[in-house]
Amino acid sequence: MLGFGGEREAVSRVGLTPTDLAAARRREPAAVTRVYTAYAPALFRFFMAAVGDHHQAEDLTGTAFVSAIEGLPRFRGPVEALGGWLFQIARHDLYDYRRHQARSRIEPLEDNLPEAAAAAGAVDPEELAIERLEGTRVMAALRNLSSDQREVLLLRMAGGLTAPEVAATLGKTTGAVKALQHRGLASMARVLGLRSPNQAQERPYPSPDPDRLTSQEDEER
Amino acid sequence: MHRPNKLHDELDALLDGRPVELTDDLAPLLEAADVLRAELAAFELDPEVADRHLERVLEGSATVVRMPVRQQPNGWDLRLRMPVRLQPNGWDLRRRVAAVVLAAALVLAPATMASAAALPGQAMYPFKLAIEQLRLASVQWSTTREAGERTRVADERLDELERLVELKMFSQLPTAIDALSRAVMAADAAVDEAAEQGEPVSGLAGRLDVVKGQGDVAVRRAESSAMTQQFPVVSEGTRDAIHAAVDDSQDVLAQPTVVSPTPTTTPEPPPATAPPATEPPPATAPPPTEPPATAPSSTADSGETPGSVDSQAAPDGWTLDEVSPASVAGP
Repeated sequence: MLGFGGEREAVSRVGLTPTDLAAARRREPAAVTRVYTAYAPALFRFFMAAVGDHHQAEDLTGTAFVSAIEGLPRFRGPVEALGGWLFQIARHDLYDYRRHQARSRIEPLEDNLPEAAAAAGAVDPEELAIERLEGTRVMAALRNLSSDQREVLLLRMAGGLTAPEVAATLGKTTGAVKALQHRGLASMARVLGLRSPNQAQERPYPSPDPDRLTSQEDEER
Repeated sequence: MHRPNKLHDELDALLDGRPVELTDDLAPLLEAADVLRAELAAFELDPEVADRHLERVLEGSATVVRMPVRQQPNGWDLRLRMPVRLQPNGWDLRRRVAAVVLAAALVLAPATMASAAALPGQAMYPFKLAIEQLRLASVQWSTTREAGERTRVADERLDELERLVELKMFSQLPTAIDALSRAVMAADAAVDEAAEQGEPVSGLAGRLDVVKGQGDVAVRRAESSAMTQQFPVVSEGTRDAIHAAVDDSQDVLAQPTVVSPTPTTTPEPPPATAPPATEPPPATAPPPTEPPATAPSSTADSGETPGSVDSQAAPDGWTLDEVSPASVAGP
């Protein structure tokens, strides 16, 4: 957001200023902390949704952040572009992690979902069970998207990036990102049984994983 | 029915919270997005973990083992999959500059020393001339220094001519005599220019007159030495070329250095211990009846009697007590 009359310093959507960026390049503690506070939660959500493991997501967040601060002197864009740049690092850290995992054992996503549900702070076991079930459904629906659709939705929803920022991060056009976003959400809505009023009488879409996913029709039954 | 692109744009606007009419088509998609957001919002970073991350960055105690990154020379960062500017930091830049200076010193210093004694016709002679040009270029900012450097170059050409004669390298004599003439002319012009700008150039003019006088002697010695040699030591063509070069050089070497009057300098009073027999002529208006035989302007500054170049300390330490131009004007 640009200030009025050029008097105010430009501020990014997460509240960082060019002064913060310059100070973070010099590793001034206050500025580094501001950058971390602005982006670490989003990075953690991105990794958590991608790998499904709390500890791995924490480690990946820390690694990506350390890499980003070390590489910050190379970053020459405006402060508004910092988020996209950070998530580029995060993506490639994630690829490296997956390559590393592919050489060893691949942990199933759903084994770690309870941790995610517990992180929601549910205290009532029944509530926790419902939340776990819902979380499983949402995450499974996300996992069933194409990799492009999933990545776009994660960067948009977890990373908080805009469509043009996602496009820049992924090297796609903004139109392509918007199309992937639309198709991904449409697919998730189908799987989760979310329909518009004029679709309510129609037969729900079959679940890609009937054993685990429940459609609205199943729940009614 | 909406066009697909419009639907995409409207959905994107709704996701960003921009005011767009929510249609039935987009409602379930927006709901799915809200569900996903809520699910993701449940993932919260442990504050203790956040502290550890910050400690890793701020205290430099990070033990992160980064994945190997292969960075290509064209600045394409494979990790970021984007072009990066390969800018050296300050330390790298200083190291590069130091390396270049060291390499230049290692190459230039021996070459300069080796070329210092080079003579026309030898392999290192062009290098010597190039170094002279560099030195001349480096003193362009000061007319006095340029005049001094050009006088030094003229003296170097004189030295080369004398050595060529000693070594009986007669075929190079025409070239060396021409080079001496050109160097003296350039020095003459530079001294005159410095004098026009009010610089104290009397010492330089005296130096140049010494070079001219010695040069004239050396040219005639070279000519006579070449003429006494028999064919095929000196060919007819070489003899003719030497003759022509010597004739041309007379226009330059036999003329005293004429320095323009310097309006800003005042003539020094005559020395108290040895007053001249007559009143010293004013520097700006010499008596028309007695034109100076030698370098009038070089002596005008010092107030000496024209026609004599006595022992005189030049600004850069040269002592002009060797040869009077008038005494070496001809054999």
